[in-house]
Amino acid sequence: MQTPLSIDPARVLADIATFQRKLAAGMGLLRDMHEPEYANTPRELVYSEDKLKVWHFTGHVKASSKTPLLIVYALVNTVWMTDLQADRSMVRNLLEQGEDVYLIDWGYPDGADRWLTLDDYINGYLDRCVDAVRERHGLDAINLLGICQGGTFSLCYTALHPDKVKNLVTMVTPVDFHTPDNMLSGWCRNMDVDLFVDTMGNIPAGLMNYVYLTLKPLRLNQQKYIGLVDILDNPVELENFLRMERWIFDSPDQAGEAFRQFIKDFYQGNKLVKGTLEIGGQAVDLGMVTQPVLNIFAEQDHLVPPDASRALGKHVGSTDYTQLAFKGGHIGIYVSGRAQREVPPAIHQWLRQRD
Amino acid sequence: MTDPANDFIRDYQALAQQSWDAWSRQFQPQPAANPFAPPPAPVAGNDMLERALTGLKGYFDWMQAAAAGSTAPQPGSDWRQQLQQMFGGTSQPFAQAFGGIDSAGAEGFARQWQSWLQAAQHGGFGDLPGAYGPTPAFGLNREQQMQQQVLATALLEAMQASARYQELIQRANAQGMQHLQEKLAQHAEPDRQIDSLKGLYDLWVDASEQAYAEIALSDEFREVYGEMVNTQMRVRKLQQQQTEQLCQQLGVPTRSEVSSLGERLQALRRELAALKRQLAGKQATAPAKAAPAKPAAAAKKAPAKAARKPAAASVPGPRKRQ
Repeated sequence: MQTPLSIDPARVLADIATFQRKLAAGMGLLRDMHEPEYANTPRELVYSEDKLKVWHFTGHVKASSKTPLLIVYALVNTVWMTDLQADRSMVRNLLEQGEDVYLIDWGYPDGADRWLTLDDYINGYLDRCVDAVRERHGLDAINLLGICQGGTFSLCYTALHPDKVKNLVTMVTPVDFHTPDNMLSGWCRNMDVDLFVDTMGNIPAGLMNYVYLTLKPLRLNQQKYIGLVDILDNPVELENFLRMERWIFDSPDQAGEAFRQFIKDFYQGNKLVKGTLEIGGQAVDLGMVTQPVLNIFAEQDHLVPPDASRALGKHVGSTDYTQLAFKGGHIGIYVSGRAQREVPPAIHQWLRQRD
Repeated sequence: MTDPANDFIRDYQALAQQSWDAWSRQFQPQPAANPFAPPPAPVAGNDMLERALTGLKGYFDWMQAAAAGSTAPQPGSDWRQQLQQMFGGTSQPFAQAFGGIDSAGAEGFARQWQSWLQAAQHGGFGDLPGAYGPTPAFGLNREQQMQQQVLATALLEAMQASARYQELIQRANAQGMQHLQEKLAQHAEPDRQIDSLKGLYDLWVDASEQAYAEIALSDEFREVYGEMVNTQMRVRKLQQQQTEQLCQQLGVPTRSEVSSLGERLQALRRELAALKRQLAGKQATAPAKAAPAKPAAAAKKAPAKAARKPAAASVPGPRKRQ
């Protein structure tokens, strides 16, 4: 049998030399590099409460849609993934399609927010944000676009306040939390979440990030940075890399009570699909979601496995249910070149047909 | 007798090491101006740098070892043995693939234990009280002694849980090597051979992540992971209780007290919001009764009123955490 390794020692030395050269070049570039900015698509503040803000994006193209679209992001990480950089901005792309886009920025919870519950977030904050947008447009119902955990919130909200939602789009949204390939779910299944929250209070962002990194420890802690060496002499790619690093690690803590409920009811109890979920004492029945639903998920998602999202089709009450599988990962669905070409146009087309 | 080829490699390695050291120093935090000041505590922003440098250093050392020739795969030799030398030897930088996945961002539980133990020992507690099982306590300090015993027991349980977790991590390392051999066996044909260290490294990452995922998704890992988290939280909780007792003795407000106030305040805010909703509902229905001629238009123009603030004139950029 022939050896599978055919590595020329001269090439090894050449590889090391290249590695060294790129490191040296990167030394100068990194030293002079400033904190990369996000896309900062022009926007106006239309509502605020506590640490929450609702932004209305003002694009160059006049909105052609009659119904505004409110983006509901997750509580983990910041909303700027949707507006990361000019050529990788889902928000900007939706604006150019003709959508009228609003976005909820949840802010950074601190000790004062320790006792915020899912009821406070969904029936409180989210409901008042929806009302603010409805009032601006004089509409009974608006479109919602929920992302990841924000998609789960949007589903609960739509089930509880069906009259206020016209169309619902969910992206990389966990619905069935007990699919066998859900690593996060497995890890927290035996956790004493009461002890955890009683001890930690709010859950630090650093701890959350650490857990996410350990989903793929070698890729995310080592291989990624070895790949960084390849672009150390490329200022544009280096800036893109650093911008993504900023987004990943500049993330909010989690309000303790909301975290406790989310882990208990969703990750441990899987109550959304079991039909036993209650938010603020009201039963959440996905069968009550009869609005048109577009469910988009990523086929290579390591945080929200595709089956966790696909499950929505079996439980939602809507007879107008569309499913869209995207070839990419949990983050790529917002920022990859393919995503820019495929996702916002698909959302716009789907909404336009139901406007 | 000198060996020019080996001398060259040694010289090159020394030069490369100097270059690496210079690069690392470039991005290390500068020492404090005051020589008596303590070193700066690690901050969240340094965590990425720490991770990046650790990862790069491991890769760099591995390439260097390969360049030295002692571990570079030789044509015709047993490639499985070479592979073991390159990845499996205890001195190899990648031997403990998943062993170093802890980071400052994870709150450094091990560091907390160590500092707490040191403080307890400096405080005159000596060896771990309760380390050999609970013993009766007497006298004025009875309660404190009992608390120390409970904490010591919790610490031991946390360490045992951590050890079980590490066993699984070691298993992932070992299975990663097996997977690597299996993957490499598929590259035996001349046109599919691995011809670069980077190619070999990437394959090793694939194999190791596959092994890690298999274990991390298992029921055993789930049980061990939960136990590790729970025992760590138990230690932390007991530490907090002791700290709070000390604060109470000193008249310092405790976190529990502040947290209780926060809980009551949030309950009041919730009640207030519910009352506002009720009031808004009543106000919305009142004009409809007075002017029944245009109910639809009124409802259309004024859906549920929101407590709304005026729009800001300027558009600030995304802000950093305060």
